Amino acid sequence: MLVYLGRRLNLLVITLFILCAGSFALAFLFPGDPLTNLSGLANPDEQLRQQLMHKYALDQGFFASLWQYFQLIFAGDWGISMRSGSSVFEEVTRTLPASIELSVYAMVLSLFIGLPLGIFSGLSHRKALDRGILSFSLIGYSVPVFWLALLMILVFALKLGVLPMSDRVSLLYDVPLNTGFVLLDILQSDMEHREAALQNAFAHLILPTLSLTVFTCSLIVRLTRRSVINVMDSDYIKAAYAKGMSRSEVVWQHGLKNALIPIMPQLVMQFTLLMTNAMIVEVIFSWPGIGEWMIQAIYQRDFPSIRGGMLAVSVVVVSFTISMDVLLKLLYPLSKRQLHAQV
Amino acid sequence: MPKSSFYEEEPFPSPVRQTWNEFRRNHIALLGLWCLAFFVLLSIFGPILSPYSALEQNTDAILLPPAWEPNGSTPFLFGTDSLGRDLLTRVVNGCRITFGASLILVLVAMLIGCAIGAFAGMSRGIRASVINHLLDAIMAIPTLLLAIIVVAILGTGLVNSMWAIALALVPQFVHQTRDVTRREFQKEYVTAVRLDGAGNTRIFFFSILPNMIEMLVVQATMALSIAILDITALGFLNLGAQSPSPELGAMLSDALETAYIAPWSIALPGAAIFLMVLSINLVGDGLRTALRNRLTQ
Repeated sequence: MLVYLGRRLNLLVITLFILCAGSFALAFLFPGDPLTNLSGLANPDEQLRQQLMHKYALDQGFFASLWQYFQLIFAGDWGISMRSGSSVFEEVTRTLPASIELSVYAMVLSLFIGLPLGIFSGLSHRKALDRGILSFSLIGYSVPVFWLALLMILVFALKLGVLPMSDRVSLLYDVPLNTGFVLLDILQSDMEHREAALQNAFAHLILPTLSLTVFTCSLIVRLTRRSVINVMDSDYIKAAYAKGMSRSEVVWQHGLKNALIPIMPQLVMQFTLLMTNAMIVEVIFSWPGIGEWMIQAIYQRDFPSIRGGMLAVSVVVVSFTISMDVLLKLLYPLSKRQLHAQV
Repeated sequence: MPKSSFYEEEPFPSPVRQTWNEFRRNHIALLGLWCLAFFVLLSIFGPILSPYSALEQNTDAILLPPAWEPNGSTPFLFGTDSLGRDLLTRVVNGCRITFGASLILVLVAMLIGCAIGAFAGMSRGIRASVINHLLDAIMAIPTLLLAIIVVAILGTGLVNSMWAIALALVPQFVHQTRDVTRREFQKEYVTAVRLDGAGNTRIFFFSILPNMIEMLVVQATMALSIAILDITALGFLNLGAQSPSPELGAMLSDALETAYIAPWSIALPGAAIFLMVLSINLVGDGLRTALRNRLTQ
């Protein structure tokens, strides 16, 4: 197990290293002066230019400047956003929690809806219930997320007027920025009208979360259903029936455990898809998350922000994927046998 | 079942034929195939049939509702948008651009992915490990992020967004090809070919590729549906195809300003994307089931 942990840690470090180097290379690939792309200061005069050259060690060769870049990244100096003039690192730490919050709620909701539906569907293979659930999941899988979000805004926000269509919480409530997760912030704060603010934040969450959930949920239903069908067809399930166990006993003791664990790695893989969709949904609902922030950055050609945002999002995704991988390995004893089989 | 004739050889359907027979039994998948065929024909012949051009503005018919609404008129079957352009023509042209671009980029991604995958599947040790690590790093980056970076480097445009999506799709093909190649290389028929003196390249092209084609087709249909969703999403965010172009996603973002008074200009292009993706997914699912049934028989 230690060997495995070491390998994964190694993978994590190497991947982060590659991503860091990639973001450094971006400064040279983006149009414009690399120095401006790194620091975020447009049109520096000669003296400032010399200072920046020295700060980023650009005059001391490629590897020296790469090393300098790593040190600056770890020190939290990610350059300055060309739009707002504030530090990129601060803006990332402000916007990233909002995106993670949205994705986590959507993921939890999809798991709560998707897993049971997938199991029901798989257990009643080739029956009416299965067909119904499968068709719904196919439809949910094919709907473009941004179109669904627009339709939801049209129906619920404009026609019916029951739900708000943009931002995280109404401007009436002055929520102190603490953790960056809006619900936690409201719960922690001692503002007046806390209940009302909480309700308001919930109402703002409904539409973005739902439009994200539809896609993720249908994916989960499809994965779960396939896995349940495969397991229920296998020989050891027949053996369990032959032993005289009832259907519910078979399903609970043999079926579900074996069906659910193998799909966990695949579920983790869907996190990147969810992130992509979350970034699109953020733009539509003006959710102040990293997706919206980066899209705005590209409209205004704010290259330091794009560089920082890319690094932040990919680091989050990679760390999440690898740590879940390790966690699953701990929970699922069978996969320990494959310890050395895979790189 | 008794044989009808003693002397003639019993006809045994080819693998493709068997897959088609299995596929045909699934009526919903067949419906998806017809729907897909309709979209293909539409994107080939549609623009020729339509009386308007996609950019032509009819200033006397602005924001006309579709023909089935009380205020609509039949010359503009789907109504017009805020510049008086015929929506039906734009949707048909949009299907052509979106579908055609997705098809091309999936083919490119498949070619590149298969080449790298075959190479990775046949190589051992440090080379395979380097390829794996690189692919994992690319796979970890969300598609949209990759697209944002590519667009930031190359500038906006349909072709640039196609490169970005193709780059994001390549790892899937690499993984699939690599796993199959590695698995097949341990089978006996490959050993037999090797004993005949065939090299790695020859084994791959003449023995393994024919066994892999069907799986690749299934993978390509899945990739096609993702590609359509992504290309329209980028068009919608103004990162892909730019505004006057009748790409379906770009049309949706155009229609945003008049969404409240002209909801059909959002509903109809979106419905076209949805139907296109749905039919592709139906065909993909049907093919996958057919293939699975054939292999388990």
